[in-house]
Amino acid sequence: MKHLPKHVRPRWRYLGVGIESWPDARIDRRAFQRDLWYAAQNLLGDVGSAAIDGTVYGFTFEAGVGDAVVRVRRGEVERARAALACLDRVDGHPVRVTVRGVSGTVRACEESYIHRPLESTDEKRVEFEDSDRTALARGGRVDVRVGDGFAGATDYDC
Amino acid sequence: MYEAVTPRPDGSSTVARFALTAADQGYDGIVVRADADTDCDYDAGAIADRYGVDVVEGCEVRADDRTAAASAVDRLRERHTVVCVRGGTLNRFAVEDPRVDVVTRPMVDGDVNHVLAKAAARNGVRLEFAFDRVLRADGGRRVQALRGLRKLREMVEQYDAPFVVSAGAESHLHLRAPRELLALGDLLGFTHDQVETGLREWGRITERNREVVSDSFIEPGVRRGRYEEDHR
Repeated sequence: MKHLPKHVRPRWRYLGVGIESWPDARIDRRAFQRDLWYAAQNLLGDVGSAAIDGTVYGFTFEAGVGDAVVRVRRGEVERARAALACLDRVDGHPVRVTVRGVSGTVRACEESYIHRPLESTDEKRVEFEDSDRTALARGGRVDVRVGDGFAGATDYDC
Repeated sequence: MYEAVTPRPDGSSTVARFALTAADQGYDGIVVRADADTDCDYDAGAIADRYGVDVVEGCEVRADDRTAAASAVDRLRERHTVVCVRGGTLNRFAVEDPRVDVVTRPMVDGDVNHVLAKAAARNGVRLEFAFDRVLRADGGRRVQALRGLRKLREMVEQYDAPFVVSAGAESHLHLRAPRELLALGDLLGFTHDQVETGLREWGRITERNREVVSDSFIEPGVRRGRYEEDHR
């Protein structure tokens, strides 16, 4: 297929997005994309959702942290930001999605805002709320296993 | 800008984790509004120093009737910098008591009309725009929340009542950055200024209440200390 002439090609912006969840969450690109579209559609309707055209690129997620590049139409960045704010679950796992920054190219976006976590996640025993529990620690963040869920804590608490 | 959070045991994250996440997202501080009846123990100063955000000791009164609420506010006003009352059925009580700083979730199981908005403006009680159900609910509950926010906004604008904005985070995963709340507010019909003022208002409440309990404060406009320079 012939490329469009440069002046009529759609202009894009690329959002560098950080994702955080509990350590047992399993999220893949497809699920993230699907739930992003749902979130956008619920908030903005079909028209708004089509207008922002959020497509997920370069998705990674492991042990409760990840990042993604989300492509949106230029001029729709703020609406996309609102839609991302309303994305609170992916595949039933609660997530916190945060826009780290916006770039004009995928490459610039990855270079500036996508940084693979330097710290690895370690499983260890911690003293939390007066009892001995298992926890997953990454950097200063500690997710302590409580019952069948997790409690968000830091190395200050344990 | 500040954000209000509900930590463990009601929520699922500790105050320290909230502080760490809020610092990442560019907040200047968090107001910890734990349920007044639960045992939530933390060292605000130590956490603030460690993560570089202000940690404000607050509480949220959740009572069944106004007698219980009044005695709780009486008891807690001295101990906490920010006193919130969970609205709904207690809206009327909360807006008429100047000791209350914030009425939280006034549109959940309750309503704010012109009488309450005027009383809130007169007594300096802030009404909360709670974005929690817009961010985390869907379907009918979300539509109700949107309808509630719209009515509350109209009342606040008409009667110039003070207000705060919050995402009502009960876990560090619920926190949203100020810019994201501003973007969402734009879609809901708030102006940029309104949401920003609402987020800053938590900081203003804190500053004022800290000043009131400081040793140099005697009454509004009167303070112990050296004479002020004459700026004529």
